[in-house]
Amino acid sequence: MNIYKPELVEIKDIIDETPDIRTFRLQFKDPERMKNFAFKAGQFAEYSVFGEGECTFCIASSPTRPEYLECSFKFAGKVTNAMNKLNVGDTMGLRGPYGNSFPIEQMKGKNVVFIAGGIGLAPVRCIIWNVLDLRDQFKDITIIYGARTVGDLVYKNELEDWKQMSGVKTVVTVDPGGETPDWKGEVGFVPAIVEKIAPASKDTVAIICGPPIMIKYTFPVLEKLGFEEENVITTLENRMKCGLGKCGRCNIGSVYVCKDGPVFSYKELKTLPQEY
Amino acid sequence: MEELIISTENFKKIVQELLGKEFRVIGIPEGENKYQEITDGSKLSLHPEAAPTSSSFKEYFFPKSEPIFFYKQNHSSVDLFDPIEDKKGIVVIGAKPCDASALPIISKVFNWDYKDDLFNKRYDSSLIIGMSCNYKDDYCFCVSTHGSPENTKGSDVFLTSLENNYFSAAAITPKGESFINDYVKYFEMDEKKHKVIERKEEIPEHFNYEKVKTWLDNNFENKFWDTAGEMCLGCAQCAFVCPTCHCFDIVDEQCSSCEGRRAKNWDACQFSLFTKHASGHNPRDNQEKRYRQRISHKFKYYNDKFGEILCTGCGRCARGCPVSLDILQVVEDINALAEKS
Amino acid sequence: MNELKQTCKDVLTEKKARLIIGYSEDKNKRVKPFIARTPEDAEKFVFNHHAVNNLAVYISRFKNNFEGKIGIVVKGCDLKAVTALIQESQVKRDDLYIIGVNCSGVVREIDKEFSKDNSQIKCKYCQTKTPAYFDAIAEESKEFELTVDDQQELMTKIEKMSAEEKLDFWNEQFEKCIKCYACRQVCPMCYCEQCIAEKSEPQWIDSSATARGSFAWNTIRAFHMAGRCIGCHECERACPMDIPLTLLTRKMGMVASSEFGYRHGMSIDEPTLIGSYSTSDKEDFIK
Repeated sequence: MNIYKPELVEIKDIIDETPDIRTFRLQFKDPERMKNFAFKAGQFAEYSVFGEGECTFCIASSPTRPEYLECSFKFAGKVTNAMNKLNVGDTMGLRGPYGNSFPIEQMKGKNVVFIAGGIGLAPVRCIIWNVLDLRDQFKDITIIYGARTVGDLVYKNELEDWKQMSGVKTVVTVDPGGETPDWKGEVGFVPAIVEKIAPASKDTVAIICGPPIMIKYTFPVLEKLGFEEENVITTLENRMKCGLGKCGRCNIGSVYVCKDGPVFSYKELKTLPQEY
Repeated sequence: MEELIISTENFKKIVQELLGKEFRVIGIPEGENKYQEITDGSKLSLHPEAAPTSSSFKEYFFPKSEPIFFYKQNHSSVDLFDPIEDKKGIVVIGAKPCDASALPIISKVFNWDYKDDLFNKRYDSSLIIGMSCNYKDDYCFCVSTHGSPENTKGSDVFLTSLENNYFSAAAITPKGESFINDYVKYFEMDEKKHKVIERKEEIPEHFNYEKVKTWLDNNFENKFWDTAGEMCLGCAQCAFVCPTCHCFDIVDEQCSSCEGRRAKNWDACQFSLFTKHASGHNPRDNQEKRYRQRISHKFKYYNDKFGEILCTGCGRCARGCPVSLDILQVVEDINALAEKS
Repeated sequence: MNELKQTCKDVLTEKKARLIIGYSEDKNKRVKPFIARTPEDAEKFVFNHHAVNNLAVYISRFKNNFEGKIGIVVKGCDLKAVTALIQESQVKRDDLYIIGVNCSGVVREIDKEFSKDNSQIKCKYCQTKTPAYFDAIAEESKEFELTVDDQQELMTKIEKMSAEEKLDFWNEQFEKCIKCYACRQVCPMCYCEQCIAEKSEPQWIDSSATARGSFAWNTIRAFHMAGRCIGCHECERACPMDIPLTLLTRKMGMVASSEFGYRHGMSIDEPTLIGSYSTSDKEDFIK
C-alpha cells in the first residue's frame, strides 16, 4: 500500500470567495469511495495538483454533508497559484483524512463560541456546520468572525445564513479602515470584538482559528472572560508535508502537528515550545 | 548454535555467491572508505579498525531521491503509476554498530501508524551483518547514546574481529541464523586458535544522557541556544551523512509536458526554508533556532515519541562539518549546564 | 599568536568593533570559526596552519544585526572575499574592522599536520600571503615555498577533452551530489536571500539529487561564480562527496582574467566584471 499515493478527485464547483481565496467542491472520481469516505470535523487532507505538488488544507465541509468535500485556500505559493488556474472538471489528487478532530463529543450539551479571522474561518466552518446540523445537541451558539476588509470576508453567503438563524448569534467585523460606507457589521479587530461581545465562559467551549497575531491577542481575552484552558480549542495550520508523521516538517517539541494535531487545546498548546 | 568463525577470504566467497543469487551487496571496498555496492566479491574489505565512513549507508534503504509514483496527464484526466520495485534483497556487510543500530531507530517513525512501504520493503528483505568496531577518535561517542563498539542492535549476524583476518560470527536474529546455515560451509568451528583483538582504547562516556534529556526538557528558552549554533552555516551535510536523520521533502517533477513523477527527497531542518509557511511566516527564522531544533529533536523529542535516541554517536556530522561544529561538544556543554543546576 | 589576541582584545576594549569573527581552537585542537564579543572572549582566538575557514561568509549574516563595526580576522585569500563583498555593495568598508594575518599556508586534511604535501590547492599558487589592506595586522610573515600546483595538470587534461568526454566527466562527478548545499552555504559570494535553487515559481532547478537536478544545480552555481569567485576553495573543502568543484570555479576565474583582464576581489573601488561594461570588452563570441 503506497501511503504517499493520492486518490483522484474531480473539481465539481469553484467559488471565488475573495480576490485571493477560492473554495473548491470536490468529489472522488470513484463514487464508491465518495460514499465510504468518512472523516471528522477538524481533519485535514493533502491536495495534489499533479506537476506542481501537494498542499495541506483542512477539510472545510462538514462530515454531516458527505456528498462532497470542500476546501478553501488562499493563493500564496506554487501549488495554490496553480490551483487558481484550475477549472471545473479538472482532476486533482487527495490523500486523507489525516490528523485529529475537534472534540465534538465533549462539546455536546454545552455552549459553543466560534472565533475566526480571515481564511481561518475555513477550518472552523466544518465544525460550525457539523454543530448546526446537530443543533439540538448544543446550547447557545455564537459566531464571531473578522477579516481585514469587507472584500476579504469568506463564505459571505453562509455568514448571511448564520445571521438569519435563530438561536445563533453571528457577529461579523472588519478591521478599522476595512469597512465600506454601507457596512452594517462591527468595526474592530477580532480580539477587541470578542471582548466587547463577552460570551459567557461557563459551560462553554471556544473554537478559534486565525492568523497567529489574532490568536495571540484573543487567548488573553478569553482567559479574562473566565474560559478554562482545556475548553479553548484551536487548530494549527502549520507547514505540513507528508501528513503522516514521517517527514519531520511539522514537528514542534515532542508533537507532530499532522498526527497529534492539528487540533489542540490552549492548555496543550502552552506545553509546546513557542515555535509555530 | 555452536561458536563459528570465518576468514575474510571466505567471506569474499560468500559475497560472490550472493551476487550470483541477485542480491545487492553493500560494503566497503578495499582501499575506500565509503559504503558502496560491491560487484566483485574479492573487493570486499572488513576493517574494524577503520574510521566510520564519511556518510552512512542509509541511502540504500532511504534513497536521496526516490519516486513515490509517476503520473500521466491527458487534458483533465490523470493516471498514476507505482514505481517499479527493486526486488533484490540488500545485504550489508561490515556495518559498524553505530550504523547498524540506526535502522531499527528510524524504522519506528517510518512505521508510526502509517507504514512506509518504500522503506519497509527494502528493510524487511535485508540482512545486516554488523561488525565490532576497534576505532576511536575524539568524535566517537556511541557509548553515551546507549550504544557501544560491540552493540548488536540492528544486526542479524554480528562479527567480532579476531587475529589473522578471522571473525567470530554470532547469529543475532532468526534471519541471521538462516544466513549462517545457508553458508555454513564457509564457516569453521571456533577452536580458539585466533585470539580476539582487544580494543586499544575504550570509548569513554562523554555525557550522561539522562541529565542531558532532563535539561532539554526544561530549557527551551535558555540563552545557551543563542550561541550554540551561531556558527552553523545552514547546509545539510550533518543531516545527510547522519545514519538516523530521516526528514524528507515531497516534490513533483515534470519529465515531459504531460508526464512526471512525485519524489521523496532528503531534507533537513537546518535549511532556512524547512518551516517557512507560504504566508512568509517562519517559526524558525534564524540558524540558532534551527540548531536548537536539531539537538532537541535528536536527543529529546524523538525519545519522547518513540523511546529512542535519534543519534548513535558515530561522529560523522562533526568530522565533516565545514565549520567543525561538534555535536558532541554541544551536548557535553549541555551536560555541564545540567550538572551545575 | 599573542599579538593577534592582544590586537583583538584592544579592538573590543576600545569598542572599535562590536564583535570579531575569528578562529578558536576546541578541545580536540580543531580550529574553527568563533565570535568574540568581549575582550575575555578574545583570549580564545588562535591562528595557525589549521585556520582554513574563510570567515567572510559570516559578514552577510551579521551585517544588519546591530550598530557598530564587524571585526573580522582575514588571511590574504579571505580578504579577497571581503573586497568582493564591498565591490558588490553587500557591505561598506567603513562597517568593517579588518584584522589581517600573515599566512604561510593552511592544511588540506584538517586532522593532520601541515606540510608541503598537506596544504590547500590555493596555497600552492598563492599570491596574497600578506593581506592587501587592513585596519590592523598580526602574526609574522613567514616564508613558504610554493609547491607544484597539482590542480593545473588536471585542468589541462580536462581542457583537452572533447565535449562528449567533458560531459561524461562532469556527469559522473555531479551524480555524487547529495544537494546538501554545503558549497553554497560556505561560499562568501553566495549571499542571495533567495537562491535560484529555492525559487519554486517556476522551479528552475529540480531540488532532487538526481542526475538532472544535480547537474543543473552545480553548473548554474558555476555560472553564477563567473567573474565572482575569489578562489578560496571552501566549496570543494566543504563538499562531503569530494566533487572537484574548484576545477570549474577556478576555470571561470581564469577565463575572466584571460578574456577581460579581470580578477575579482583585488580592489574595493574596481567595478565588477559582470556589473560593468567597457567598450574594450571582446565581442568575438558574437558570430
